[in-house]
Amino acid sequence: MTYRIVGLGYPVFPTAPGQTWQLQINALVTPLEKECVLSLALPLDRPGNLIIEENVFSGPYHFSLQREESNRAGIWTGSDITGPEPITYRAIILYRPNRLVRKEAPGIGSYPLSIKKEEQALLEKLTARWTRLSPIARLSAVSEALQGRWGGSIPGEEELRPWHDLQNKHDRTDLILAILTAAGLPARSVQGVRLTEGVQTGLTQWIEIWTGKKWEALKSETGELYKTPVPLLPLVVGTFPPVRTTGGDLTDIRWMMSRQVVSQWKLHYEDIIRSDRILNRWSLFRLPEEFQQTFRILLLVPIGALLIGLLRNVVGFPTFGIFMPVLMALAFRNTGLVYGMSIFGGVLFFGYLARRFLDRIHLLLVPRMAVLLSLVICSFTILALLGNQYGLRQFMAVGLLPFVILTMIIERFFILIEESGLKEALLTSAGSAAVSVITYQIISWEPLQLSFFVYPELILWVAALQILLGRYTGYRLSELIRFRNFRERV
Amino acid sequence: MFPGFRFLRQRGLLGMNSRNADYIMVYNPRSAFPLADNKVQTKQLALKFGIPTPDLFYVVENHGSIARLHRILKNHRAFVVKPARGSGGSGILLIQDRTADGFITQSQRVLSKDAFNNHISAILSGVYSLEGLEDRVIIESLIHPDPIFNPVAYQGVPDERVLVYRGVPVMAMVRLPTRASDGKANLHRGAIGAGIDLGQGLTLSAVHKSRIISHHPDTGNPVAGIRIPHWEKILYLAALSKDMTGLQFLGADFILDRERGPVLLELNARPGLSIQMANQKGLGHRLDQTDRAAPEIFLNPESRVKWAQEAFQ
Repeated sequence: MTYRIVGLGYPVFPTAPGQTWQLQINALVTPLEKECVLSLALPLDRPGNLIIEENVFSGPYHFSLQREESNRAGIWTGSDITGPEPITYRAIILYRPNRLVRKEAPGIGSYPLSIKKEEQALLEKLTARWTRLSPIARLSAVSEALQGRWGGSIPGEEELRPWHDLQNKHDRTDLILAILTAAGLPARSVQGVRLTEGVQTGLTQWIEIWTGKKWEALKSETGELYKTPVPLLPLVVGTFPPVRTTGGDLTDIRWMMSRQVVSQWKLHYEDIIRSDRILNRWSLFRLPEEFQQTFRILLLVPIGALLIGLLRNVVGFPTFGIFMPVLMALAFRNTGLVYGMSIFGGVLFFGYLARRFLDRIHLLLVPRMAVLLSLVICSFTILALLGNQYGLRQFMAVGLLPFVILTMIIERFFILIEESGLKEALLTSAGSAAVSVITYQIISWEPLQLSFFVYPELILWVAALQILLGRYTGYRLSELIRFRNFRERV
Repeated sequence: MFPGFRFLRQRGLLGMNSRNADYIMVYNPRSAFPLADNKVQTKQLALKFGIPTPDLFYVVENHGSIARLHRILKNHRAFVVKPARGSGGSGILLIQDRTADGFITQSQRVLSKDAFNNHISAILSGVYSLEGLEDRVIIESLIHPDPIFNPVAYQGVPDERVLVYRGVPVMAMVRLPTRASDGKANLHRGAIGAGIDLGQGLTLSAVHKSRIISHHPDTGNPVAGIRIPHWEKILYLAALSKDMTGLQFLGADFILDRERGPVLLELNARPGLSIQMANQKGLGHRLDQTDRAAPEIFLNPESRVKWAQEAFQ
């Protein structure tokens, strides 16, 4: 399991709500010429975000992908298209802010073209005071300076005045890139979308700065630093144009972000399917879909058994047999909890009446059980037919109830009533029902299902707990009641 | 919850989990279980060791021999029908007398021959056996109980349960039938359990349906202070049953017969814990005390009984 997490990068927790985003770009293109081309910047697998799924709806347009350095563009080309056509791109993106790891430091970029030589000298003079600081401290100093705060080292008038002129003269992004370059910090301008739910009609621009371990983000307008994790999804790095149309008119474009509660299991599904690592090849994900579901449930059944052990040996609550509640819980998956429980109650009640009648005609054990079995199946059939008449699927699913077990329960129930009284019998039924319900809740809990599915070895933990329980020789809770006489006397 | 547990521990009460894991699993070899579970085997062994048991009239092996059974029963007016592997007293039929076409049970119920046959068949098909497997039916002599317990027994026959650990009798009780228990001597059916002082064989406090009582609810007579006849012999036979079966943690059930004295009724490889309630004492302390005893006391049944009578007065 450790190897799967550390070595193969499996998720530790099966679900990661809010970590996954859906980006949808909608555009409406009206062709003006014969040939119409739309180029849109698309997200790219970068450290920090991973694209899990992509869909393109291009209508009559021809779609192709273009890769350029660290950018990627989708190109929609159309010819002889009349009238506006909508274009949609959709991607599921896993946002992993803590994985912003890059081993090689990027080189310090050159100054933007608009910054002249003497201006460069000025910036270098301004930033010289921070050279001894660490990259991170240097960055925050620059950020403060951009906001007009100089800390303890306010430059003289002869430096400050040209700096203000510079701010008015140049494009804000260029200026920030320039001062960062002067301060010896690798930086780049980035455009992308904000990681907030909703529609964005334009892209956000910010500056990314490499501080030795990861990229920090800086707001271009104010010069403030974003807090980590940075709530931004980069689409374009550098000067690459995010949207470009030729021979057509882009009437409407919007970027829609929505949170997705996709289990990480699904995220890794693709990874696992493609990987050749031995544990991936032997993963349960490689099973055909129809069997996967079975194993997702199957792997949780031992937990149900553990529960029964707890209830019987630690609490001291009686149940019918060991596996009956587990089998009931499995059946509840099809009938639903309410119907399942009422059917269980009904079968027990009518079964008891039938059993009482059978007791009068003195049948031997095996034939008697056979008669009961026939009656149980008979009532199942009637229920299914009724369910069909009234459109109740749950009634038709009774066939999946463990009828053999139910028959044996009727027999046990009857003998319990005869030997130990109604109270004991009802208590045992209640105990069984309670365990079935709890087990049902457990096996229906998806995160747990997925955990066990991704890491079947977890079952060994369950087994370990079962062994531990097996060595529990302490008292049962019920023995507090059983031996209460001893307490009263002191 | 935990203060409660600590209290039970202080009183030395033995819990079900501890009984199973620390005693039954450790001290009772699996292979010896049938010797206690199967009454036919117990009887044969007892015979070999000279332990008195009710006389065996017949063992019904299969449905075909029910007819033979009736020929044999012609010679006996009173007898007991019980499943060879039954538990908790279920399936036992006490026949006191017979009529022209049926039998009269101990509780004065008249059983037709058909109903009687049906009961035999039910036992054979395993309704009452421990694992629900096919079973055999034992037909044995009806015990004529010693009148000593007449004032405190309502119908039925009282029996004495001795708990034997490593051959040492550690605790004992007498089970007295009540109206509620339908003449059966099983505590969970409503019989009274009265603790016995091992030293002198005197009955002590009693428990009925987990309430402490001093008088029999049906007859109104005091339960405590009855001196059980042949007490030392009962203890000796109980101690001997360990040598007989190899079971080191067992319950031996005896009935006092008017003429024969103590008769071994059955052995139990998974003795219940209610005996602690009947005695108002925890078993745990006594088991520990036995473990600490000098090795030489374990040499023979006599020395074990002697030690126990001194230790557990």
